[in-house]
Amino acid sequence: MESVALAYLAAGLGLLGAALGAGIGIGRLASAGLEGIARQPEAVNDIRGTAIILAAFIEGVCIIAEVFALVFFFIA
Amino acid sequence: MNALRTYSLATLLAALLLVPAAPALAAGGDGGGDPNAIGHSADGYYMDFSPLGIVELPRILLVRRDGALGLDVFGSTHAALDDGYRLATQDGVALTAEQIDDTILDHEYLYYVLTPADGEVVLDFSITRQLVWVFIVAMLTLLIGLRLAARYKKGIGRETAPRGTFQNMMEALIVFIREDIAKPSIGEKYRKYLPYLLTVFIFIVLGNLLGLVPWGVTATSNIMVTGTLAGFTFLITQLAGTKDYWKHIFWPLDVPVPIKFILIPVEVLGMFTKPLALAFRLFGNMVSGHLVIVSILGLIFIFAAQLGTGVGIGMIFISLPLTLFIYVLKIVVSLVQAYIFTILSAVFIGMAVVDHHHDEPHMAVTPEPAEESHVLGSSFDEIIHGTGDGVTKTPAAQPSLAG
Repeated sequence: MESVALAYLAAGLGLLGAALGAGIGIGRLASAGLEGIARQPEAVNDIRGTAIILAAFIEGVCIIAEVFALVFFFIA
Repeated sequence: MNALRTYSLATLLAALLLVPAAPALAAGGDGGGDPNAIGHSADGYYMDFSPLGIVELPRILLVRRDGALGLDVFGSTHAALDDGYRLATQDGVALTAEQIDDTILDHEYLYYVLTPADGEVVLDFSITRQLVWVFIVAMLTLLIGLRLAARYKKGIGRETAPRGTFQNMMEALIVFIREDIAKPSIGEKYRKYLPYLLTVFIFIVLGNLLGLVPWGVTATSNIMVTGTLAGFTFLITQLAGTKDYWKHIFWPLDVPVPIKFILIPVEVLGMFTKPLALAFRLFGNMVSGHLVIVSILGLIFIFAAQLGTGVGIGMIFISLPLTLFIYVLKIVVSLVQAYIFTILSAVFIGMAVVDHHHDEPHMAVTPEPAEESHVLGSSFDEIIHGTGDGVTKTPAAQPSLAG
């Protein structure tokens, strides 16, 4: 019983870490992107394209962590 | 007053959209098992058309009996049970004959593992609902491709302007993928890889969006499906790899020799993590949407059970609009994830087909004077290789600095 509780705890903590990390990462990316656009509005298309790809990378890490959290739920 | 009308309209719309989801959840609630959010978005051996009913799907099992392999084919799980098959729980505990009769009466046998009375199951080829939708989506993709190709072969669209809603719509999509995804990411050799990118984009978009239709199942919320798609990207990337690409992996330039021995395993690992992340990203995004929707709907039942039916009914007016919001978000996510999968595939292919000039220093970006289409690819390359500042170097930005 205790191990089941620990598995749920691990899944919850994993989700916390993933959300925290991805939030900080995407927030920093967005701030840098907006600064870039404000400085050079002409480059908005390039910045947007690059930012979407990089956001996808950051989000990918978060999603992988979430999938592992789901695996913990399944095990529990 | 106006806001109230909009609000009630939105709630009504959400209620209509979610008619198929709610009875299934309620059935899960009083069917003996727990209301299981994960089980709802998981795969199954039946198609749920509730409240109209359930259609069981064929079971195909490769069974070993006395050392000989045989293929058992049944029209449904029920037919298999009539033919002497037994049931077991997910943990492998066999059910007694009485318990099996009970599950048949309660229509719960679909949630158990089918085991033959004699022998053992080697492989389960059973058709699941997600597989059915993969077939439907693949057929639709094929249909769109063939119909479009036939039209362009006849000359409509090449010699004249594209005609009809369908062709105009698809041409806008194809031009978008060619101009905004393939050309900037891959470069000159984009033509060879454009058909793959188009196929994968249309397949993922259809798979994602059809999962939002009532009774629809998201074909892409299965790790096997997304894994297969990512596997195609992996194969194409490796087969397209130029000499420079392999050299870059196995003998990275411009770094001291000891660092190379650290970098080589990292680069080799990177070959596999890229498609793996592709598969996980699409899968995770699609599953998480379903989970959130079912969880928010589940709040109604949780509140009703904990605080009384009245609170549960009150919860409907919070849950349904929230679900509608997630639904709209999911439409956006469906399109964005298809875009991301396609553009990342294109970027990976572009990394593989690129020809570096290795007599020049590697860090210096090859100048691409006033070539708008290379902007994304080169700036992305710069960021990856750490020269940084990639965006400000784009040719388009130069005149603004002067002026």
